[in-house]
Amino acid sequence: MDYLIIGFQDVLNPVTLFWVASGVTLGYILGALPGLGKATGVAVAIPLTFYLTPVAALGMLIGIAKGSAAGSAVSAILLNTPGEPSSAPTALDGYPLARQGKAQKALKMGLYASVIGDFLSTIVLIGLAAPLANYALLIGPVELCAILLFSLTFIGGLSGKSMIKGLIAGAFGVFFATIGLETETFVPRMTFGMLELDDGLKLVPLAIGMLAVAEMIIQAGNLKALDAETANIADGSSKDDREISHSEWRRCIPVILRGTVIGSLIGILPGLGASVGSFLSYGATKRASKTPEKFGTGMIEGVAAAESADNAVVPSSLIPLFALGIPGSVIAALLIAAFILHGLTPGPLMFKQQPRLVADVYAAMICASFIMLFIGYSGQRIFAMIIKVPLRLIIPGVLLLCTIGAYMETGSVFSIYVMLGFTLIGFFAKKLDFSFVTFLIGFVIGPNIELTFRQSLQLLDHRFSNLLHHPIALVFIILTVLTIWWLGWSSSVANSTPKSVEPVAQPSAANQDIHKKREE
Amino acid sequence: MRRANIISGIVLACFGLVMIFAIIPWQIEAGPKGMMSPSLVPTMMMVLITGLSVLLTVINWRARTKESIEDTPNPVSRAELAALVKVGALFALALGLYLWISPLFAGIALVAGALLILGERRPLVLVLMPAGFMLAIWFLFYKVLGTAIL
Repeated sequence: MDYLIIGFQDVLNPVTLFWVASGVTLGYILGALPGLGKATGVAVAIPLTFYLTPVAALGMLIGIAKGSAAGSAVSAILLNTPGEPSSAPTALDGYPLARQGKAQKALKMGLYASVIGDFLSTIVLIGLAAPLANYALLIGPVELCAILLFSLTFIGGLSGKSMIKGLIAGAFGVFFATIGLETETFVPRMTFGMLELDDGLKLVPLAIGMLAVAEMIIQAGNLKALDAETANIADGSSKDDREISHSEWRRCIPVILRGTVIGSLIGILPGLGASVGSFLSYGATKRASKTPEKFGTGMIEGVAAAESADNAVVPSSLIPLFALGIPGSVIAALLIAAFILHGLTPGPLMFKQQPRLVADVYAAMICASFIMLFIGYSGQRIFAMIIKVPLRLIIPGVLLLCTIGAYMETGSVFSIYVMLGFTLIGFFAKKLDFSFVTFLIGFVIGPNIELTFRQSLQLLDHRFSNLLHHPIALVFIILTVLTIWWLGWSSSVANSTPKSVEPVAQPSAANQDIHKKREE
Repeated sequence: MRRANIISGIVLACFGLVMIFAIIPWQIEAGPKGMMSPSLVPTMMMVLITGLSVLLTVINWRARTKESIEDTPNPVSRAELAALVKVGALFALALGLYLWISPLFAGIALVAGALLILGERRPLVLVLMPAGFMLAIWFLFYKVLGTAIL
């Protein structure tokens, strides 16, 4: 608690607050623009934070992640085009509300639900991460190796449509992480004589290529459909329909709280992502409603349910990262690079080694929630105007920022080559539904998997039977096998069952194609 | 998607075999005696990728029907492939300008070229946007952040 007070003292100064607010604003705009999202925003912004103080830098990146989660509701409501896949359920009721002239009301409810979900989930993070980290310190290399293996399998199985493809992507991520000098023997691996590869591939150019540039190319290929959607923005809203009434608040408060609980739980589990959270929350609210048939026609509870869960996922997805050092989402994987860059190594030891910086991050997260409320409320009309800008004017700027971001990582043009190489991989991975989330997480935890695997082999004396002395590791290995079996079985059942089409309102068809393969 | 899965499975399986039998032995030397081989984890990953790719091919091959092969649209549309080629060519041009002329020209070419590729034809926009971006980046890095990026 003392550290948290010091954290607020560090954050509550004009310079730091300016960068946190910049992050939230940038995130809000990126989230609102269809096709751009928090992962793109954070990946491109990491190099921009090189020259900021650690608190300002981490605050800005967290602000981007939080702001874009909230901003994605703007395009979902006004355009029927979710800024991110996790806002798709918001569009189901938000867009009908906008067509009824209640866009302002829907946008306000989306914002309030986002802020409440985000704030409460941040409190959950603060309350849970440190106690969990104390238990994590009892875990040895054998157990950690088993946990990492389980996490990667779980994420690989759940983050795409095909478990096999997810596991292939994860294995590729670990493989690419082995490029460079091997840490024990200093033998170069897969460097092809290039000195630039001795230190291995850098996460930032790799992530920028896979996430941002590849996405921009896909958007460029679908430009006509997206511009047509932008031109059809519902523009009218009468004064009477702008405010949220007391009765609507009474109906929405329990919905927001339920969405926050669902989102927080989904965030803690690695690999599920915000889309699962928002759809589950929307579904739960629909089932609990006395008038479920009205959902999809403009129920404000639908907006509240989806947005509260969507935003609650972001802070709680940092719990496995902070407590165990395991990134549960692509945002967490990207934030690892930023945290390390600014002197904070995520994992159980950070609470002992860097308690002040951890407290600063917590304080910045809480401040970002309030800044999000202020910026979202005051800038609602401006954000609604920004999303009318055609994508052909946005993509060139993003490409330029991506190139500068990749270049700045090493100050060498080689990083741009890496970015372009992984753009190609990312493009085909997205189009062929190989989970790039699993790839990136595999890449981030790859060095840890290899290190703990080596240590485990030595500790176990190369005998599998010695695993019996490590019950926690044994449990996670069994869980890994069960996960593979369960996911394989459920996908084979799904493939053999005839598919039915649910007759509910869907986000615009043009963008369904673009968004259906995009993942958190 | 079945046809795409079969093709990508075959391609990845071939890639895995080439890596296991040619590239990894060529590119990773044996480590000192008594220590774990540096090529162990890369080889394990490639074996896993090859095995899973074969599985992906076999599963989709067995589940294929004439309709699923012929009726499903190509996952990569012509417009997306065209965008990939155009943006790739644009980056090649920008890199050429960066290496042989100056980073400023590379940046201008990247923004202006992307605008042209995406269908922007208004001269004012084509001039003002690259200039505006260059100015904004100079201001951000050299004035706000106080650092040179080149």
